[in-house]
Amino acid sequence: MSQANLSKNQKPGLLNTENQRTLTWVLFLLPALLVYLVFMAGPLFDSLRLSLYTGKGYNPTEFIGFQNYIDLFTVPLWREKFFNAVTNTCIFFAIHMIVQNSLGLLFANLLSSDFKGRNFFRTLIFTPTTLSVLVVGFLWTLILNPNWGAVNQVLVGIGLEQWALPWLGRENLALPIIALTSVWQWIGMPTVMFLAGLTGISEELLEAASIDGASEWEIFWKIKFPLIQPVLGIIAILTFVDNFNAFDVIYAMAGAKGEPAYSTDLLATLFYRTGIAGEHPTGIPNMGMGATIATITFIILMSGVLLWLYLSRRNADETK
Amino acid sequence: MQKKLFVVLSILILASLVLTACGTPAPKDVTLTLGSWRTDDVAAWEAITTAFHAKYPNITVKFDPTNPPDYNATLRSQLETGTGPDLFFVRSFGVGRELFDAGYIASLKDLPGINDTFSAGARAPWATDSGEPYAVPIAAVSHGIFYNKDLFAANGIEVPTSWEDLMAASQKLLDAGVTPFANGTKDAWDINEVVMMQLLPSDVGGYDGRMAYLNGDRCFNDPEIVAAFQQMADLKPYLPAGFEATSYADAEQLFAQGKAAMFFDGSWSIGQIKKDATAFQWGVFYPPALKGKDTYVSFHVDAAIGANAASKNLDAAKTFLAWLETPEFAALIGNNLPGFFPMTNEIPSLTDPIANDFMNFNKQAKGVDIRFVWEKLMDAPTDKVNAYTSLNNNVISVLKGEKTPEEAANAFNADVADWYGPASKCK
Repeated sequence: MSQANLSKNQKPGLLNTENQRTLTWVLFLLPALLVYLVFMAGPLFDSLRLSLYTGKGYNPTEFIGFQNYIDLFTVPLWREKFFNAVTNTCIFFAIHMIVQNSLGLLFANLLSSDFKGRNFFRTLIFTPTTLSVLVVGFLWTLILNPNWGAVNQVLVGIGLEQWALPWLGRENLALPIIALTSVWQWIGMPTVMFLAGLTGISEELLEAASIDGASEWEIFWKIKFPLIQPVLGIIAILTFVDNFNAFDVIYAMAGAKGEPAYSTDLLATLFYRTGIAGEHPTGIPNMGMGATIATITFIILMSGVLLWLYLSRRNADETK
Repeated sequence: MQKKLFVVLSILILASLVLTACGTPAPKDVTLTLGSWRTDDVAAWEAITTAFHAKYPNITVKFDPTNPPDYNATLRSQLETGTGPDLFFVRSFGVGRELFDAGYIASLKDLPGINDTFSAGARAPWATDSGEPYAVPIAAVSHGIFYNKDLFAANGIEVPTSWEDLMAASQKLLDAGVTPFANGTKDAWDINEVVMMQLLPSDVGGYDGRMAYLNGDRCFNDPEIVAAFQQMADLKPYLPAGFEATSYADAEQLFAQGKAAMFFDGSWSIGQIKKDATAFQWGVFYPPALKGKDTYVSFHVDAAIGANAASKNLDAAKTFLAWLETPEFAALIGNNLPGFFPMTNEIPSLTDPIANDFMNFNKQAKGVDIRFVWEKLMDAPTDKVNAYTSLNNNVISVLKGEKTPEEAANAFNADVADWYGPASKCK
């Protein structure tokens, strides 16, 4: 039935065109909404609810209000574990933000210019991104192994024995090294996104600038960089969300306990140990406390994203 | 033609129906699932369950293991949702006890023969305080030091008879450019379970000594515990150069490749080392006690099998549990899983020579005991540090040179006394 036909026979009430149109929209949205409610929103709210309960195993039944939250911040053991994880997660995030994204920007800038073998390097930089995190973690654990790892063999080979350290066994080294491994793997992501941003800049602008006598350095900071700021914002928020949820690379390289001595324990590994696996060797999970840690992680992520939305909205308004 | 075929077929089908109905009423076939954390032992358990099926043709047992770190949580969720296996491996002491107290494990106080087949000590990890059993003990593990006989011979070293001898031998190996021990601390659990807790029974005087700590008669920072931490400090120079980042698997490889002369480990590794260490002769000895002390062996209760109280086939499950008491099963587990030892009073002779060596430790030692922290000391409330974690952290601190043995013992004592009632006066 065509639109024209409908508008001629406009009826008052439920089935007039306006309502029918809304109904159509709702019908189209309904399946997705249902899936979202059942598989995303439902579990999320159930997890929030769970954080108000306590008990052993997977079905905590005893309602205790906000006691889990109070315990997490006041009981010394929990507080220590939690703030250790928060600090480590922040360091992990900072290393990604600084190293991964600056290098990504540098690579993108280099790869956007024309030179021989450009496509080869573009592929090369993106390749690790396609590997499984567990594979990357395992590979780097082997490379860094103190007994037969390539890194230490090279160091010993060139006479730097004192530099051949047990990299993943030192509390001050393990976290930065694992973060750098993760940077090595994911560097392709910001590179590709920055590259897309840079390629989107109009040639005319760059040409005009160089005719006016601007150096490459000036062109980058005065023209390219301001123009790719929206991309920078998106990359920053993606890095933030990914790192505050990071689990797999730590699990692969340092185990669920964040060895050595909890120095690589992130929010997600702490959550996994508390809420799902339990501590070795008893292995009894505390689902309520796990849900509490998950909820706080959610709040941290949520505030980060909202802040970003607010800032980018304000930026957009200013440019208007 | 087609009609004829139809008639013949119909007659055959009818005949088969009638004949089956007329046969002796066979007992109903049941299939039981057996939950376990031993994912490595599928083949061995198939041999065991096949032997059981040969004896009880109407009962089939299906071995269905879960990844070890997930086992406790998975089993609990299965039991809570009513999808638990009919039979399952039960952890010793607190962890298993909790499932029994929650009503998920069937009581075995009426299981015939359980009190005669196993000693009270073997039953205790899976029984209530009043002695009501809820799981049949099936396997214990032992511990020892695997050693490279070729490297020992090349450096003129005999199997040491005291801790001091062992340290002297280690120094000799180190001087000869050989890494004495393969163990590291990256995975943390191994340094705790197969090194520290292997030495502790000799340091504290076996079962009686451990009981003195559990009863509150001795504090966890007394000279014996300090001595154990001192042994860790003694070991430090003899571990691999990068021991902080050497994992349990790395350590096994270091030993198997002949790069380290000795490896503190458990009897469960016999199969793995046999497979990997093929280039040299090797054997096993128990770490000797400090001079003037008796050697006690860390012979640790490992697994028992219990029945799901909600199982639809509880009778069949109990038939299986009763079979676990037979010498037939004891021989099957000892020989199919070298390094796991039956816990029955009568132990059949084992075919694996290394497994027999481990059994001989028990005969030669003053006594045997389980791992130091397993009983009661791991049942800390969730906001306190249990003895396992505290011991582990302090052992690693000593090895890394962050704490002296005295400081480590004091920290260990403080952690345990913080929640363990009988030790409260040790604060």
